[in-house]
Amino acid sequence: MKYTINHICSGEDELILNYIEENEDVARVLAFMRREGRKLLGYKDKEQVVISPEDILYIETVDNRTYVYTEAEVYKVNYTLLQLEELLGEKRFFRCSKSMIMNISKVVSLKSLSSNRIDAVMQGGEHIMISRTYASDFRRRLRGEL
Amino acid sequence: MKEIKKWTLLERYLYKEIGIEFKACLYFFCILFFYSMFRITRGSWEASIIHMAEMILTAYGIGYLQVLALNNFDEGEQLRLREVLYILLCTGIYTLVAVLGDWFAGNMWMMVAFFCYMVLVYVCAFLVYKVKRDLDTRVLNEELKAFQEGLERTGQDNGY
Repeated sequence: MKYTINHICSGEDELILNYIEENEDVARVLAFMRREGRKLLGYKDKEQVVISPEDILYIETVDNRTYVYTEAEVYKVNYTLLQLEELLGEKRFFRCSKSMIMNISKVVSLKSLSSNRIDAVMQGGEHIMISRTYASDFRRRLRGEL
Repeated sequence: MKEIKKWTLLERYLYKEIGIEFKACLYFFCILFFYSMFRITRGSWEASIIHMAEMILTAYGIGYLQVLALNNFDEGEQLRLREVLYILLCTGIYTLVAVLGDWFAGNMWMMVAFFCYMVLVYVCAFLVYKVKRDLDTRVLNEELKAFQEGLERTGQDNGY
């Protein structure tokens, strides 16, 4: 792969990727570029904050308000869960209940519970219960079938 | 998963009903085994259909009781005092039906043995479910690790 880096004095910062075939290296750069284009705008103490998807542990709606949880902070966002599913759209984000989306890459461990439920322990120690309604799709997501 | 899945009333009912029937069959066969051994020791190779009907109906009724009122205790995480009391309650009901149905020809020692046997059956059922969940936990964590490693390889986790 050829690398070309130009330091310009004016204009907008721009990242251009030219590729003929999507190999492993190209796929990694593509994933980075797609992810960087998907930052979320959140609010904390009336201040606007840009949230990177890789920092998100889980997203939850409470009383029609949507909150994004990272390891250190909680941000309010003006999106619905459906919009966030579309926006994030990556395999690592999984709708684990009616009111929650979890980031599978931030799961530390899983535990099988009775009635086909799954307890997911996140980085930071939170426990997320995946109900039986969503558990079978979660298993399929882990296996790459979904 | 883009759509919120909603279970219909029928699906919810069937999910519980199938679980209860499976449980009923499990306990029925355990009781039938004990009953068969009793009959064989008495020199008989035949079983009463009436007795078997009583067994399966009792198991079905207690299955409903376990799932709807007793927190499905045999599939629980721990065997604490509450679960032990539930075991004794269900075993007591089985024993009462055995007495009323004269399953063991009025033999008091067999009643006591049956009671102890059913307590053991419940404890074994609890352990079997627990082992199943522990094995499932191991599989889940292996699949999680493979999934996260796959994300890292394609750069979707920590980035480029």
